[in-house]
Amino acid sequence: MNAMLRKEMCLSASVLSYIFLAAAVMTLIPGYPVLCGAFFITLGIFHSFQSAREANDIVYSALLPVAKSDVVKGKFMFSVMIELAGFLLMTVFTLIRMTVLSGSEVYHKNALMNANPFFLGMTLVIFGLFNMVFIGGFFKTAYKFSPFVTYIIVAFLTIGVAEAFHHIPGCADVNAFGFDHIGLQAALLCGGAVMFTILTFLSYKKSCRTFEKIDL
Amino acid sequence: MKIAELKNVCKTYPAFKLNNVSFSLESGKITGFIGRNGAGKTTVIKSMLNLVHTDSGEICYFGKPLSGNETEIKQRIGYSTGTVSWYPRKTIRQIIDTAKRFYKNWDEDACRKYMQLFALDENKKPMELSEGMKVKCNLLIALSHGAEVLILDEPTSGLDPFSRDELMELFTTLKENGVTILFSTHITSDLERCADNIVYISHGEIKAECAKTDFIKNFGKEDETLEEIFLRLERKMRS
Repeated sequence: MNAMLRKEMCLSASVLSYIFLAAAVMTLIPGYPVLCGAFFITLGIFHSFQSAREANDIVYSALLPVAKSDVVKGKFMFSVMIELAGFLLMTVFTLIRMTVLSGSEVYHKNALMNANPFFLGMTLVIFGLFNMVFIGGFFKTAYKFSPFVTYIIVAFLTIGVAEAFHHIPGCADVNAFGFDHIGLQAALLCGGAVMFTILTFLSYKKSCRTFEKIDL
Repeated sequence: MKIAELKNVCKTYPAFKLNNVSFSLESGKITGFIGRNGAGKTTVIKSMLNLVHTDSGEICYFGKPLSGNETEIKQRIGYSTGTVSWYPRKTIRQIIDTAKRFYKNWDEDACRKYMQLFALDENKKPMELSEGMKVKCNLLIALSHGAEVLILDEPTSGLDPFSRDELMELFTTLKENGVTILFSTHITSDLERCADNIVYISHGEIKAECAKTDFIKNFGKEDETLEEIFLRLERKMRS
């Protein structure tokens, strides 16, 4: 395993980052804004940034025989690893809702977003926003957490829009049950994956540039 | 032989300036880096570790500039401080197991030897260690990867006289084994015992760089200790 990722997992990470992966189960809660599960997973990652700061992790990492960009890469690798693990769990629960539980009455009476590929695409968008707004903002100073407040606002606005989107006339198909409108659903999931990749990559590049310039 | 060299290093902050800082570290010697709190010692040390970006000047180790060779140079240097502890809630074993993966020349036998020598319990966490033991824990990692240069930022600050004495003895032994040490402190009495050279910084400027004996001869009056010389010089500069 990459030494920097191992350092992130063994020394820097808070156990809450792993525990908060359980928020993926929220996908199964009927009548609940299921996208909040994605937010809670990022909240778990944020706890790792907090515990890392208390442990002087950034300075310790910068003292290791690695390039400064590797310090940034380590944080991104850990965050993306947790996000993809969360995405995988949410995918499993979404598939359960789409197949075994597709006939369940409680899910059909849902005024909010259904667990479907569009939902999974939006979880990736939320993760991408976390990487862009919080992690990208954090590396401007490597100690300030104020970008997390901005991320909370951006994340809940996005969650609000996504959860209510299907109520806009003509947009009902994004809230498909089971495997209905699967072509559109798959396209929306791919769109989410592309957004996640672009946001994460741009944020990583920007973070490497800003972190290189700051004094620790 | 010069193993590390700073040439005309400048760094400007809104309320402080490092002005043309130049000095060198001789191989196998202990260089005492003295100056009062706020004189610029830590900024210089952070510049030497590339934690702080200098505005101008050059920092070289082993004849190579730090800029562009940072990864290679950091394989050969070690850093310890008495003012910061890393990962207070992780065990020493966890910290070592992670750190060793970054160093090409990690020597597990040396690690065990120093662990025994320093009487460190690998199952303890830094938060459970005394200040002196924390410094030893950092030194253990530096020595296990075969650091040729040790940069020590106030390693004895906050230590009782007995722990300080223990560390002085250790630094002298390391010097005898060929390790080059930069020892930053404002407790000048620590340097009486072990330093070969003195670099004196005040208000961001190097005021003296010479052998300890020359420093005492040139700046001291009859029978003055290093601490008395330092105090007199600082008072003179203030007035």
